[in-house]
Amino acid sequence: MNRRKFLTFMGSAGVISALGTAKVAKAGVHTFPYYPDSYGVLHDTTRCIGCRRCEEACNIVNKLPKPKKPFTDTTVTGTKRRTSAYAWTVVNKYNVNGKDFFRKLQCFHCNDPACASACFAKCFQKQPDGSVTYDGSQCVGCRYCMIACPFYVPGFQYDEAFDPLVQKCTFCEPRLKEGKLPGCVEACPMDALTFGRRSDLLNVARARIAENPGKYVNYIYGEHDAGGTAWMVLAPAVSPASQEQDSKASEEKTANHEDEFKQLGLDRHLGTQPMGELTYGALGAVPMIVAFWPVLFGGAYAISKRREARYKAEKEAHIEATKNDLAAAVDAAVRKIEETQGPGAADTARRAMAEALKSREAASAAENGEDK
Amino acid sequence: MRNGTVLLLLAALVLAGAACLTAPGTGSASAATVASTDSGAPSAIVMFPVSAKPNPKGSAMTPTVFNHLNHEKAIEKCETCHHTGDPVACGTCHTVEGKAEGKFVTLERAMHATDIHKRTDQNTPSSCVSCHAKQTRERQECAGCHAILTPRHDAAWCATCHNAKGSMTHQQLRAGIEGTLPLEENEAIAAKAEQAQKPNRLLTPMHGPYKVSIDALSEKYLPSNFTHRRHVSSLMERIRNDKLARAFHNSPAVLCSTCHHRSPLSAKPPKCGSCHTKEIDRMHPNRPNLKAAYHLQCMGCHKGMNVSRPKDTDCTTCHKARP
Amino acid sequence: MAEHGIVIPTREKLFNINEFFTPTPGNIISGIILAIGLVITIIRFTCGIGSVANLDDNQPWGLWIGFDLLCGVCLAAGGYFTTVACYIMGQKHFHSACRPAVLTAFLGYAFVVVALLYDLGHPLRLPFMFFFPGTTSVLFEVGLCVATYLTVLFIEFSIAPIEWLSCRFPWLIKWRKVLVMCTIPLTIFGVTLSTLHQSSLGSLYLIAPGKLHPLWYSPFIPMFFFVSSMVAGASMVIFEGMLAHKGVHHYMDKTHLREADEVSFAFARAASFILFAYFMLKLIDMLVQANLPYVFTGYGAWWLVEMFGFVLLPALLYAKGARDRSLTFCRLGAVNAVAGIVLNRFNVSMVAFNYTLPEAERYFPSIWEICISMFVVTMIITAYRFIVYHMPILYEHPNFRDGH
Repeated sequence: MNRRKFLTFMGSAGVISALGTAKVAKAGVHTFPYYPDSYGVLHDTTRCIGCRRCEEACNIVNKLPKPKKPFTDTTVTGTKRRTSAYAWTVVNKYNVNGKDFFRKLQCFHCNDPACASACFAKCFQKQPDGSVTYDGSQCVGCRYCMIACPFYVPGFQYDEAFDPLVQKCTFCEPRLKEGKLPGCVEACPMDALTFGRRSDLLNVARARIAENPGKYVNYIYGEHDAGGTAWMVLAPAVSPASQEQDSKASEEKTANHEDEFKQLGLDRHLGTQPMGELTYGALGAVPMIVAFWPVLFGGAYAISKRREARYKAEKEAHIEATKNDLAAAVDAAVRKIEETQGPGAADTARRAMAEALKSREAASAAENGEDK
Repeated sequence: MRNGTVLLLLAALVLAGAACLTAPGTGSASAATVASTDSGAPSAIVMFPVSAKPNPKGSAMTPTVFNHLNHEKAIEKCETCHHTGDPVACGTCHTVEGKAEGKFVTLERAMHATDIHKRTDQNTPSSCVSCHAKQTRERQECAGCHAILTPRHDAAWCATCHNAKGSMTHQQLRAGIEGTLPLEENEAIAAKAEQAQKPNRLLTPMHGPYKVSIDALSEKYLPSNFTHRRHVSSLMERIRNDKLARAFHNSPAVLCSTCHHRSPLSAKPPKCGSCHTKEIDRMHPNRPNLKAAYHLQCMGCHKGMNVSRPKDTDCTTCHKARP
Repeated sequence: MAEHGIVIPTREKLFNINEFFTPTPGNIISGIILAIGLVITIIRFTCGIGSVANLDDNQPWGLWIGFDLLCGVCLAAGGYFTTVACYIMGQKHFHSACRPAVLTAFLGYAFVVVALLYDLGHPLRLPFMFFFPGTTSVLFEVGLCVATYLTVLFIEFSIAPIEWLSCRFPWLIKWRKVLVMCTIPLTIFGVTLSTLHQSSLGSLYLIAPGKLHPLWYSPFIPMFFFVSSMVAGASMVIFEGMLAHKGVHHYMDKTHLREADEVSFAFARAASFILFAYFMLKLIDMLVQANLPYVFTGYGAWWLVEMFGFVLLPALLYAKGARDRSLTFCRLGAVNAVAGIVLNRFNVSMVAFNYTLPEAERYFPSIWEICISMFVVTMIITAYRFIVYHMPILYEHPNFRDGH
């Protein structure tokens, strides 16, 4: 049972949850354990020289349109660029505590991708080989994946009128299937991109940090960030103190010393849970609302209905009583008249009173009728 | 023309080397015994693993001969090492077990720690190792190699400093550990040890090839002509008189091992391609492919030494484009 | 019936569209906007979204989602709010407010879908979400609920066109009877769906904690969206009543006119309570999340403007209006509250979204996006007018007086 199935199941749960308990138990905890043999890439920013060979290779391998400026022009790395529908990877220059470093931007291929969790037409899929693939044939073009992606990766073909799609790095999934390396990894002249099983890469990264004391920040970006990513980044340790001896300035810089990742444009505050899990609480409330709201409002309706009925009954009883009182009073009056003035006068009086009552009733009925 | 200059330089170097070899030890030994320090501190002393509870069997870490004079010359302020501002022996506060005066920082830590937290309220102390590591990172002549390698901390590395056992008696060692050895005796042992020390002999640039044509990969570019001898001699010339380098470069082929790494030290190291394959080796994802291995070594060293030319992305300076 | 000269379509004269062809300023402006909108529509669907919108990869959701979807759905909350008050809670004197509210809700939702078609890359593939249901997506839940609720609203609303058309097609009358019987279940179903998707519109942003400013991002954002949608529902009934009294006063019967003020006061009181509660919720949420330091930044100032100028102020206006029975205050409150809701949705979707990006990469809607939004609003108003002119919305049809 893979994750998507599992979650589909959870989505339609509530009603049939009992049915699937066995399967859920097999899946273990509710978080998706990433494919243990999946591949990844370790990006060592201390090695990257900003030559843009990876960009060129990506462009060729994926048959993307040629950019205006050639790939040999390395000055463009100085401007802040992001990935787009037509450039699935870009290399940018970042100033880290006064020194220039380069970082390659592309899809991080999260273990539990936010885009896949956000897509309401199931276009994105985490593959067992580690790649997050996109199937444009069922894309509605809502761009919620772009909202969801914490790394600002997917790009949209806004200029396309009839078949605009979301585009992003595919991890060269077709090439992986052929047993080839991703285009960018193959093109890198510095091995700043190391391809391998994700589990091996973590060991590689740790070994590099340990073997080169003082060279790297002791943190593997993507090991746990946003639930873990297939592409991970090592950042250079650049102490700001060596640049400036001024004690106050260096003190200030020590405060953001651990921010080398921030200076490389990487957010270390994404948390360690997959982004999609942030919505599961809200989605989990859906079955509860579906179950409870009808009961709640049905109950409210029943209460108001009952109150209305009782009110009506009380009102009718009241009217009946008044009517009886009135009849008794009229009767008493007529009997009195009969005693004093004889039956003829009593008949006249009874008729007159009955007529008066009737006309009053009619008048009030007319009034009420309009009110209704 | 340029090569001519290099050759001349090399000749001078060889002559100088030969002169040194014929009269071994004379220069350094006399300096250690004769010269005295400006501060009045002993020129050289033996540092013992001072301990409140010495091992009854008498075994301990080999003591170190510390050449105070050389270090005093190389460093601006006494506070660099005497971080409290009080010029006392390290063992006063930092013993093998650690004690309250030294905030329970053991002698081992005080000498070897590299992860020293920066103090804001007082002088930040340095250990021997942290200061040496700092030198190798920050001095241009060191930083080339030391940017791409970290010396293996093996027995030979330890023995560079911990070398004073042979020059003293067992009683002297025991007294030193207990802290009862008289200073004069200590100084005498140190002077003797310093005198006995032989300079390390290194391979010379002439042992290596003059030029190496790196052609294993030439597809997009023509082979690169690497001026092996010029690179080696330029590196060696810069550290010829450097005492730190001379002390720690302690085996003949050690300077070769920056590039010819991970194989046994030898004057005839294996080819790069023996380990670094053209395509990345799936069994060893951490081992760079051949192209990257070259680039990482060359650019790593150039970057470490702040060699601005050629630019990282200027490919044709090192290998001309294939016509 | 001669009251105010209500024109009731008859078998012979089913249509009453003269109102659209009198050269009043309203008609002229509507005509111009509709014409421009049509042109932009053609451009949008032949040259792509990028040709008319300022949307980019960093800001994939702009005005069309922020206004047309978020505000559209929220402001159409009057439908469930009024029907629940009237049918479920037994407030029979709100009855005359039900049909206008249901009509507005129906139009609101219908045109939310229309506006959505502009924003989607593949509008024709909208039903794909039912074929490939991405059940982990909040958007799937929103889509499912909106689609279902739109159907519910259509059924609830369809009584009016049936009454209108029954003079020509008498067989519709028995359908009307069936529909009237369904009122209560439909209302309950409607409020359930509304609770779900009104809150889920907020949940959409739960997935982007790094992009939405902490003062607006909260794990409780679904609740904020739902609570504020109740306010929006009540306020829109008052606000829309105010506009209707200006524009289509002559289509209101005596009952409607008599009950209208009472409805306003009652809804103002309710909205006032809810707004106070909302204010407290937001305040507590801010404190609980330790966002106090953010309050003293630029975004904090803007947040305070929203909280005091567009939540607390309308709450006070409503409270005063309800207590003093002052229609003016109620209406002021309604305008203020509606503006506040729109402001809040704009803040969440545009102003405080991507707050970490530098100014140059931020989004501002293009004039054409604004035109499309105005076009959609104008279409709603035109459809509303058409329906009011033909169907018994603001008056009771003389043939169906005892219907309830």
